[in-house]
Amino acid sequence: MIRSFRYLLKEGVRNIWSNRTMSLASVGVLISCLLLTGAAVLFSMNINAAMKAIEGTNSVKVYMKEGLPVLSAVKVGAEIKKLDNIASCKFIPKDDALERVMGMLGEKDAALLNGMTGKDNPLPDAYQVSFRDLSKYKATVAKIQQIDGVGSVNDYSDIAAKLTKLDRIVTTGGFWIILLLSLVSLFIISNTIRVTMFSRRLEINIMKSVGATNWFVRVPFIVEGVAIGLISGAVSSGILHLLYSQLTRTLTSIVRFSPIEIGAVSGRLTAAFLLAGCLFGALGGMISIGKYLKKEGGDIVDW
Amino acid sequence: MIEFQDVSKIYPNGTQALNRVNLRVEDGEFVFIVGASGAGKSTFLKLITCEERPTEGEIIVGEQKLSELRRGEVPYLRRMMGMVFQDFRLINKMTVYENVAFAMHVVGASSREIRRRVPYILGLVNLQDKARCHPRELSGGEQQRVGLARALVNNPKLLIADEPTGNVDPALSFEIVDLLSEINKRGTTVLMVTHEHSLVKKFRRRVVEIRSGSVVADSCTWEVAR
Repeated sequence: MIRSFRYLLKEGVRNIWSNRTMSLASVGVLISCLLLTGAAVLFSMNINAAMKAIEGTNSVKVYMKEGLPVLSAVKVGAEIKKLDNIASCKFIPKDDALERVMGMLGEKDAALLNGMTGKDNPLPDAYQVSFRDLSKYKATVAKIQQIDGVGSVNDYSDIAAKLTKLDRIVTTGGFWIILLLSLVSLFIISNTIRVTMFSRRLEINIMKSVGATNWFVRVPFIVEGVAIGLISGAVSSGILHLLYSQLTRTLTSIVRFSPIEIGAVSGRLTAAFLLAGCLFGALGGMISIGKYLKKEGGDIVDW
Repeated sequence: MIEFQDVSKIYPNGTQALNRVNLRVEDGEFVFIVGASGAGKSTFLKLITCEERPTEGEIIVGEQKLSELRRGEVPYLRRMMGMVFQDFRLINKMTVYENVAFAMHVVGASSREIRRRVPYILGLVNLQDKARCHPRELSGGEQQRVGLARALVNNPKLLIADEPTGNVDPALSFEIVDLLSEINKRGTTVLMVTHEHSLVKKFRRRVVEIRSGSVVADSCTWEVAR
């Protein structure tokens, strides 16, 4: 059994080489499919992480009206604390806010704001308010907005809703695109293997005449499919790694956002790619040889 | 070895290929199967190799009733048979040695067994010096001997030869049948389909003639069969 398997394994690999043009086409299509799948998955993971970050803060920033004296701002704070759903309410003086902005800009750009300190500080005083119950988020925000002296409330619920919508679009669109590409990949792989099969009809014919079981005939074609799948999985995992790292590096230098680290998911991603490649390849091989054995298997000795 | 009991075969398109055939071939016999094209010879062979199932009747090969044989067991039945084809069916990209070894790989033989058995069989068909040649470098007669070596390498009890001399020079035909006779002497049952009267006359073995799906003659000499 093991020696047969070793022989069949060699045969499968030999098939790939002797049929390399079609094998290359299969690998190409499968790589595209896996790359798109991976891209959609990473995009979705990033959106989820962003949403969790927003939900995780569980808080809003309440900005005071421009020019509101500090004493009035303290009164607003007291009003906020009186509301039902408030877990904490922390005062952020406008000087601290400016300092934080300057810190975010870095030394060089922060120098531009040097003249805006003290009375010339354009930022308003604010409160960082966190809630006990997120389901009362909107109602609590509305109540805060009604308090006299409140200029605006930085409401993240809109962003969360937009991100959810975007995630849904990407997930749904991604699903259909991936489904389509999966079918195309399967079609191409099974056709590649069918080409090998037709070029090896005589061998199959002889195999059947000397008593080969259907599994013995099938295995080299499944091995061929699995090898195509594994190569595609490994290559697409590498490409996705490189592309994602490059893209996030570029994006983070333009926009302030913290993407998920590819290193954190690369193990799972590579395993998933290899597994998906294997499954696609094996399925493609099984479909083509199964059809062949069912359709022409009866005539296999062909007297 | 082989027994046909009232066997009929009607194909789905309505063609009656065999009609109530009764035939018994004993272990170690050498039988010529003769008949015109379309007489039912191919169907006869297909029924023995389980490529087709009879519409009526029972076939017994060895001690196995073929009606009781499941699809998955067919390969194991075929392992007790060797098949020789008119068109040789050799794999051109493989050497003579590899063509013969291929049949052993299929049945899961070990490399050691293959290294031991293949040269022996090639010696039996007088091709020991051609082991590294490719089929295209051989004559028709030599190619058929490779086919024969492949059929014999797994030590079958029954050898089925479908017009094995059809594609070789008449002079070499005798050589092939001589070889089959030699194999038969060692105990292998041989069924040989042929059109060549000269062979049947010369070798004087049992002759079964099939015409329009029926066995019309079954005797020990061609003269009686006519």
